[in-house]
Amino acid sequence: MFPSWPMRFHHQQQGSSRSGGESTDSGSGVNTISSKAEANIEPESPISRKAASSSSDHYHFQHHQMDQLAVSNGGAGPSSSSHHHIQQQNQSADKPPNEKRKGISSEKPLDAKTLRRLAQNREAARKSRLRKKVQAYVQQLETSRIKLSQLEQELQRARQQGLFLGGCSGAGGNLSSAAAMFDMEYARWLEDDLRHMSELRAGLHAHLSDSDLRITVDRYISHYDEIFRLKGVTAKSDVFHLITGVWATPAERCFLWMGGFRPSELIKMLISQLDPLTEQQVMGIYSLQHSSQQAEEALSQGLDQLQQSLVDTIAGGPVIDGMQQMAVALGKLANLEGFVRQADNLRQQTLHQLRRILTVRQAARCFLVIGEYYGRLRALSSLWASRPRDTLMGDENSCQTTTDLQMVQPSQSHFTNF
Amino acid sequence: MYQTESWGSPYVPASGRNGVGSYAGGGDPFERIEQLAAESAVVIFSISSCCMCHAIKRLFCGMGVNPTVYELDQAGDPIAGKEMEMALMRLIGASSAAALPVVFVGGKLVGAMDRVMASHINGTLVPLLKDAGALWL
Repeated sequence: MFPSWPMRFHHQQQGSSRSGGESTDSGSGVNTISSKAEANIEPESPISRKAASSSSDHYHFQHHQMDQLAVSNGGAGPSSSSHHHIQQQNQSADKPPNEKRKGISSEKPLDAKTLRRLAQNREAARKSRLRKKVQAYVQQLETSRIKLSQLEQELQRARQQGLFLGGCSGAGGNLSSAAAMFDMEYARWLEDDLRHMSELRAGLHAHLSDSDLRITVDRYISHYDEIFRLKGVTAKSDVFHLITGVWATPAERCFLWMGGFRPSELIKMLISQLDPLTEQQVMGIYSLQHSSQQAEEALSQGLDQLQQSLVDTIAGGPVIDGMQQMAVALGKLANLEGFVRQADNLRQQTLHQLRRILTVRQAARCFLVIGEYYGRLRALSSLWASRPRDTLMGDENSCQTTTDLQMVQPSQSHFTNF
Repeated sequence: MYQTESWGSPYVPASGRNGVGSYAGGGDPFERIEQLAAESAVVIFSISSCCMCHAIKRLFCGMGVNPTVYELDQAGDPIAGKEMEMALMRLIGASSAAALPVVFVGGKLVGAMDRVMASHINGTLVPLLKDAGALWL
């Protein structure tokens, strides 16, 4: 190829001024080399021609540099290019080499307008490539975002089902063994709870005798005694696990008081559902509500005092006393167990008192109501976690929802909003 | 620091500043306890820095009762104070160190926080207080 070059090149040098209509092969020497290379690789197309022209310009520029090289080296490679270059330069003196690439009558000199157009073409091509890259990247980001929100939802669901035991404690560390043990026992307790409730339901429907029903009711009370005993044991090792309510579902946790339900709130819920009650029973229930409220208030104030005392201990003081400060604070923190124990004690006493005030049948119904209530609260948590949330659509969907809500309400304003 | 004065004196402190010196010292701690419990309608043996003791005080104050409080850590004789604490622990049958607070109503032992709360919930505390003259209708 090399020997044939100069001839061809020479031929073109002479004929290029006239042979504008030829194919790209007939372009200038510079173009020939590049176009030859590209003709072998790519199909002829305007894009490749443009690319070629841009690369040829580049080549043209490079030539200046290589020229210097050629002068210094005098080697075969550089020499050809320098030879090339000289002829190229001769060419450029005569006519625009790039014109040949266009395949049009290219006898006009390379004027400013053409140069600008070429530059614009190059710019457009570059922007197009950049845009494609950006689009690909954005696509990647979007996909990752969807994956992330899916993972978050899965995690939430798994957590609620108590599957994710290894390392999602509220304190941020791994679940302590006491906490893990409690979670396991609690899960079993929940299963037992369902069983007890169906026993109660069956007993009520079957119209068992009071003495028979009493056995079922007392068994349910023991079932609750069991969870309080369990919590007492856990409080000794990991009171934070109990008090932060990691073991409970989100909705339950939201209304948690000192590591469990608030007795006065439970009674408030029950009052409307425990019909019919004798006057004495009504007084008993209201008295129970009142005394549990007083006890709750006292315990809450005690806990506030503990928090204040703790804050005072670790807040100030010179650094020298640091370790002693911490020791004192630890001692104070240990009192937390006492408060959770007393709160559970209050809960337990409240349930026992309910049992005393009510008849056997009333008590059976009462505990069924309690069990169903917490069952629904737990179900609410699950539903909440798995509700559809379109994070991609964002505003669109929220508007959609608002519109749907408006359609449900038949009002004048409904129309004005549209 | 945990101060008794900060409660705004809804209760009657024992004679002397926070009962300091007047009740502790010399003699059998059990006898001392019995003696002090008989002197007032509602008697709470407490530790000034204890938060559960604060809770029990708030409980009685919330009910409109004026308990007599003895802060055992502020006794004139600290050893006697400690002896009384140990004696109280024996009385309520506490195995661990958390004995206080301990409540007496009408001279009779009610118990620690859990017993007090249980008796309030099951409705026996209020009649007891009324009988002792600590609570009026």
